[in-house]
Amino acid sequence: MKSSSLAASVAERVIGEGLPIAFLLLWWLTARSLPSFVLPGPIETGETLLQLFVDPAFMGHTLISLARVVASVILAVILGGALAGLARYVPSTAYAVQRRVLPVLNSFPSVGWAILATFWFQPDSASVIFVETLILIPFCAIALIQGIADMDRELLEMGASFSRSSLKIARKIALPMLLPYVMSSVRIAYGVGWKIALVSELFGAEHGLGYLMLRAEVIGNTAMVFASCFAIVIIFVAGEKLIIDPLARRFAVH
Amino acid sequence: MISVDIERRRRRTANIFTLAVLAVWFVVGWVEPPYLLPGPANVAERLWGFVIDPHMWVHAGASLLHVVAAVAGSIVIGGCLALAAYYLPVLRLAVHGRISPFLNSFSGTGWVLLAVLWFGLGGFTVVFSLAMVLIPFAIINVRQGLDSIDPELIEMARSFGHSGLKRFFLIILPALTPFLFSTMRICFGVSWKALLTAELFGGDTGFGQLFNLARQDYDTPLVVTVIVIIVAAVYASDRYLFEPAQARLSAHYEVL
Repeated sequence: MKSSSLAASVAERVIGEGLPIAFLLLWWLTARSLPSFVLPGPIETGETLLQLFVDPAFMGHTLISLARVVASVILAVILGGALAGLARYVPSTAYAVQRRVLPVLNSFPSVGWAILATFWFQPDSASVIFVETLILIPFCAIALIQGIADMDRELLEMGASFSRSSLKIARKIALPMLLPYVMSSVRIAYGVGWKIALVSELFGAEHGLGYLMLRAEVIGNTAMVFASCFAIVIIFVAGEKLIIDPLARRFAVH
Repeated sequence: MISVDIERRRRRTANIFTLAVLAVWFVVGWVEPPYLLPGPANVAERLWGFVIDPHMWVHAGASLLHVVAAVAGSIVIGGCLALAAYYLPVLRLAVHGRISPFLNSFSGTGWVLLAVLWFGLGGFTVVFSLAMVLIPFAIINVRQGLDSIDPELIEMARSFGHSGLKRFFLIILPALTPFLFSTMRICFGVSWKALLTAELFGGDTGFGQLFNLARQDYDTPLVVTVIVIIVAAVYASDRYLFEPAQARLSAHYEVL
């Protein structure tokens, strides 16, 4: 029984690890018989991908996209938090926030914001951050509304009986209880942010991975389209593993 | 009594807020030129023009068709992958540890641009790129459904001598139904978000194409009209169709 479960676990690992290798091999074989603008090979794509991280001309595009996503996530958490706080602490606004603002923001097409931003603003980072923030706000607000609803009222009451300073109660009791939800909203916003980063950069930017990708598609540089997508996958995974996961562990409720 | 009062006050504030937004929109739309922000009256007029123009219904129908095809395709493909990992545990790492995270972090816009290069402009490109965005949602949700099935129930069916196929139709499929429904609901919501980008770059009909034309002509009233239609359709379908249906389904299957 034990050896069969070990064999199953080994087989699972072999298939799991073998799949990306098989995929790369299949990609390489298919790409050999196709022109580069239809399917570039993994080596050509890998070289282009490397350029996005080491060549200063391309690295600028990568870094500016990263900076825009980070700025949008921070703004969305602040504004989403403000909406969640408003719904909780000014109860008469709860419906307005939860049944008007959030559903509309949530169902608003992202490309709609992107196109409206091109009419309203100059194509620059502020326009992209505006679009990304508006798309991310409902995700953050929903997570933070849940966080505020789940806060332990008895603990807050106990804090109030020990101190009259609401700032102190917020800092010492409410904030630590809310931090896991803040991290969860950061995680969601970071993931969605990278998904929609390209949309907002396609119209309202002259730099960034979205701009680079659209330019590459127009001139048939498929390797760059692939490389931009993989660059996002890499930055997304690195950001999550190196920054968000450790922070989430640090602020987890014990 | 107090809770009824609070409820009434909340509703009143929400309605006042909606009216205030409309009033601000009206004033800004009146002050600013229509290409920057068309007012509510202008949009209502375009909306009526949209309703009576059969050509616009072709675009609306094409978008709906793209969404339905992509949602159906992604549920079938995602469901099959999740079921394959369930019945053949050796595939678990490959499906849930490799395919699903990869598809989940791959950019939707990337799929659109690649699909344009591979398949050209058209309905298939739109449906393909939408489905690639939706498949990870389907895998994750169906997996959650499969994980929630009571193993003792399967064991009991086995002890009654039910074949694998019978177990699937008598236990697994009914247990999965609420999850399949919630997958459909999530995919439907997400697909409308991704649809416009897919149609704008990869389609030849649909709301995305209208967006493209409107963008080129600086026809902001048409952009806002399409946005209003989509927001209203997504909100209304979720609130008045999916939400009550899911509540009924969850109550029927005792899933909360």
